[in-house]
Amino acid sequence: MNLIGENITYKPDDQFHLNDVSFNFKKGNLYTILGRTLSGKTTFLKTIAGLLNPDSGNLSFEEKDFSKIPVWERNVAMVYQQFINYPHLNVYENIIFPLKQRKLSQDQIKTDVEEALKTVGLIGFENRKIQELSGGQQQRVALARSLAKKAKILLLDEPLVNLDYKLREQLREEFKKIFSEGMSQETILIYSTTDPQEVMELNGEVIVLDEGKVLQKGPAKEIFENPLNLKVAEISNDPPMNILKGLKNSDDLNFENISIKSPKHFKNLENQNYNFGIRASEIKLDDNGEEFEIELAEISGSETLLHLKKGNSKLIALIEEVMNFKIHQKVKINFNSNKFYAFNQSGELVSSPYGINNG
Amino acid sequence: MNFKHKFVFLFPGLFVLIGILIFPIIFTIRLSLSGWNSYTPEMNFIGITNYIRLFTDDPRFWESFFRLSFLSVTTVILQYVIGFALALMVWREIKFKRFFRVIFLIPMMTTPVIMTVIWRTFFHESLGPVNDLLGNIGVKPILWLSDPVIAKFTVIIVEVWQWTPFMFLLLLAGLLSLPKEPFLAAAIDGASPFRKFVYVTFPLMAPISIGAIIIRLIEASKIMDTVFVLTSGGPGTATETSSFYIYIKGLREFQMGYAATLSFTYLVIMIISLTIIAKVLTKLMIKE
Amino acid sequence: MEKLYTFLKYTFITLWTVFIVAPFLWAVSTSFKDFQSVNSKVTYIPWLDFEPTLEGWRVLVKSPARGGVDIVEPYFNSIFVTCTASLVSIVLGTLAAYALSRFTFKAGFVRNNDITFFFISQRIMPPIVLSIPFFIFLSTIGLLDSLLGLVVVYIVLLMPIAVWIMVDFFNRVPKELDETALIDGCNPYQAFYKVVLPNSIPGLIVAGMFCIIFGWIDFFFAFILTFTEVQLLPVKVVALNSSITPWWSLSASALISVAPLIIVAFVVERYLSKGNLSGALK
Repeated sequence: MNLIGENITYKPDDQFHLNDVSFNFKKGNLYTILGRTLSGKTTFLKTIAGLLNPDSGNLSFEEKDFSKIPVWERNVAMVYQQFINYPHLNVYENIIFPLKQRKLSQDQIKTDVEEALKTVGLIGFENRKIQELSGGQQQRVALARSLAKKAKILLLDEPLVNLDYKLREQLREEFKKIFSEGMSQETILIYSTTDPQEVMELNGEVIVLDEGKVLQKGPAKEIFENPLNLKVAEISNDPPMNILKGLKNSDDLNFENISIKSPKHFKNLENQNYNFGIRASEIKLDDNGEEFEIELAEISGSETLLHLKKGNSKLIALIEEVMNFKIHQKVKINFNSNKFYAFNQSGELVSSPYGINNG
Repeated sequence: MNFKHKFVFLFPGLFVLIGILIFPIIFTIRLSLSGWNSYTPEMNFIGITNYIRLFTDDPRFWESFFRLSFLSVTTVILQYVIGFALALMVWREIKFKRFFRVIFLIPMMTTPVIMTVIWRTFFHESLGPVNDLLGNIGVKPILWLSDPVIAKFTVIIVEVWQWTPFMFLLLLAGLLSLPKEPFLAAAIDGASPFRKFVYVTFPLMAPISIGAIIIRLIEASKIMDTVFVLTSGGPGTATETSSFYIYIKGLREFQMGYAATLSFTYLVIMIISLTIIAKVLTKLMIKE
Repeated sequence: MEKLYTFLKYTFITLWTVFIVAPFLWAVSTSFKDFQSVNSKVTYIPWLDFEPTLEGWRVLVKSPARGGVDIVEPYFNSIFVTCTASLVSIVLGTLAAYALSRFTFKAGFVRNNDITFFFISQRIMPPIVLSIPFFIFLSTIGLLDSLLGLVVVYIVLLMPIAVWIMVDFFNRVPKELDETALIDGCNPYQAFYKVVLPNSIPGLIVAGMFCIIFGWIDFFFAFILTFTEVQLLPVKVVALNSSITPWWSLSASALISVAPLIIVAFVVERYLSKGNLSGALK
């Protein structure tokens, strides 16, 4: 009973919106689609929903060819990023809309709606008008409507992106609860986002999309530990992973007049030029370290993002305190060399701290 | 989105329109190739004789065309300027705002022909109030309807009275839908009303302005009612627009074939020129 | 400087208001005159300049047999033709506009914008161009001088307006709303009338108003295509113009014919202030 896509391509104009995308989604699982804006996430979801028809490739669900089934007969539900609800109906009427379409019995409808309202925490809101609700509440109504349908495929297109930070965190927690407890084991959940942190928190199977192409598939942990190439490393980290071009010789890594002891897991690598990657969180202030100049200091919550420069190299370091840094101030930093990644000249991963060592 | 259902939505309207139109258009073309007039009221075939006559031997038509261009462009420009000014004035808070907004709309809500009948009595050279009042302040009676040059302006006055509300409505609706942010920014920057208009209001209104001007030009080019009632194209041919000339040839002199030729040619010219004007205006505004 | 600007503003507005109101005042005054008051010298204010009479008004409801000019029937004819044609135009036009806004059409080199342009370009045709062929067309199918014939012709006039306004309006309703309806189990027809339509009332009202206005004010088609059986209001009034020029009944009938649309003006202004119109008219 899987949702299977084979070589799906969609190219309505000069660019590929989807480029040879294949997948096999099993019921009861959560799949996260990670990609930047315009990478094809929304197109992907809309193709599954049936709003777009691919130019080539197969899409089937429960062994039935989906291309023969129009949108309104597919068993899907979708939550948009722009709080879409029916403006002319109140909350209750919004949620029963799809149920009425399916001509369920009155009792069944009542039960389903109450259950959905309870799950999203909106009991008592039945008679409110949509315009009276806040953004977060509207999105919850949209979710409730999708849940009440008990659809077999639930699609969410960056549902939290238009909410403020606090609300986003709160709803993300609720989502996680809903996804694990409130959903039946029959549902396939597909959630798209640009936020790597969200992907890690939701902890599902990840598909990394860029320019319509699938760059990597795997559990969230795998994407974190072993990004297969530079692009994935860029997309799946916020702030982006620092990439430094350098040369490896037997004992150390050399870049920009800096020499660091080569980490153990690079043992089997050949001595040549690589793109070395290190996360911002693995750079620490160290009085005995290398001197860099501060270009910019961003305070974010309880952390500071330092944009550093030395010669031609630029780095971003994530410091776990709020400190007062001035532009052009010089600081000394050190790298946690055990966490270095090595990508070859074509951008492919050749060595990671978590196990891949293709020398 | 692409569903088979799209045809069910589009086709009824499209087919009804084409269905009702197809006969007249084909008929007009066929008629233009015939010599139907009051002596030979039959559909014979004379090829493109009418067209040759039109292009080589009928200066009156082309004069009417230039007259039409002058009248329609002048009225549309006046309507745009006055309409925009009025819209700007009742846009924000002002005493009796609602009253003025309704009043400014009223001329458009009247039947042009009927109002023109009233205008005719209004501008009557001996018994009308305009000349009478002007006489009271020592101005000699103006030949509103019998002087070839002045008659044109009388027509313009009536058209401006009648249709400025249309511009006013479109522009006011546009102003009301503009986002507030640019204006807040301008206020913070201490911009004077003049600067505010030139650098914020006018550019933001550009797309709406173009739409309004084009729609109004399309309507203005059909000026018929006013001319028909006010001046009957006169004096002489001073206010004879193309529509009126076609009317004379077709329904007064009964040269149906030739009138059809005029009609068809006029149609083609209008569609081409209006499309060109639309494209040019759009490019101009986008450049700004 | 501020004061000068305000002064100019109010002056301009006042002058323009006077300009707008002038012909009406004149018509009102004239409608109460009789032969003498009109033809000797110019008179303005009743009781002051001349003796007012109701003759001009009475004549309008007297039947022709008794020397009157009946405008009651033409009045209702106009209402019927305008409303029927507007209704049909709006229904068909809105459906077509929805298709043009939401779906993609491709037939050779013809695209959506071309089809929309085709609809709107019908307004370019001056009535004269269509009236002779329509004359022959209608007489062939026996609809000359009939209400139905006029309705048919008016549809050509009004549908482009409905399409113009509704296409613009639908382009402003988020497609995601339609999509959600489809996902919730509606086929495209249901998505249209259950979801999009209820949210399009402002646009429909604007389209309706413009259709009614442009239908009501038509003169030329009614003039060419009807004679005795059916008469529409504008034609009747102009016909009065060409006879003995009874200025008084002329003015009276003119005032009556413009009255209904004044009501429309109030409705338009209310919607304008509510902000509904602004969304529909760009």
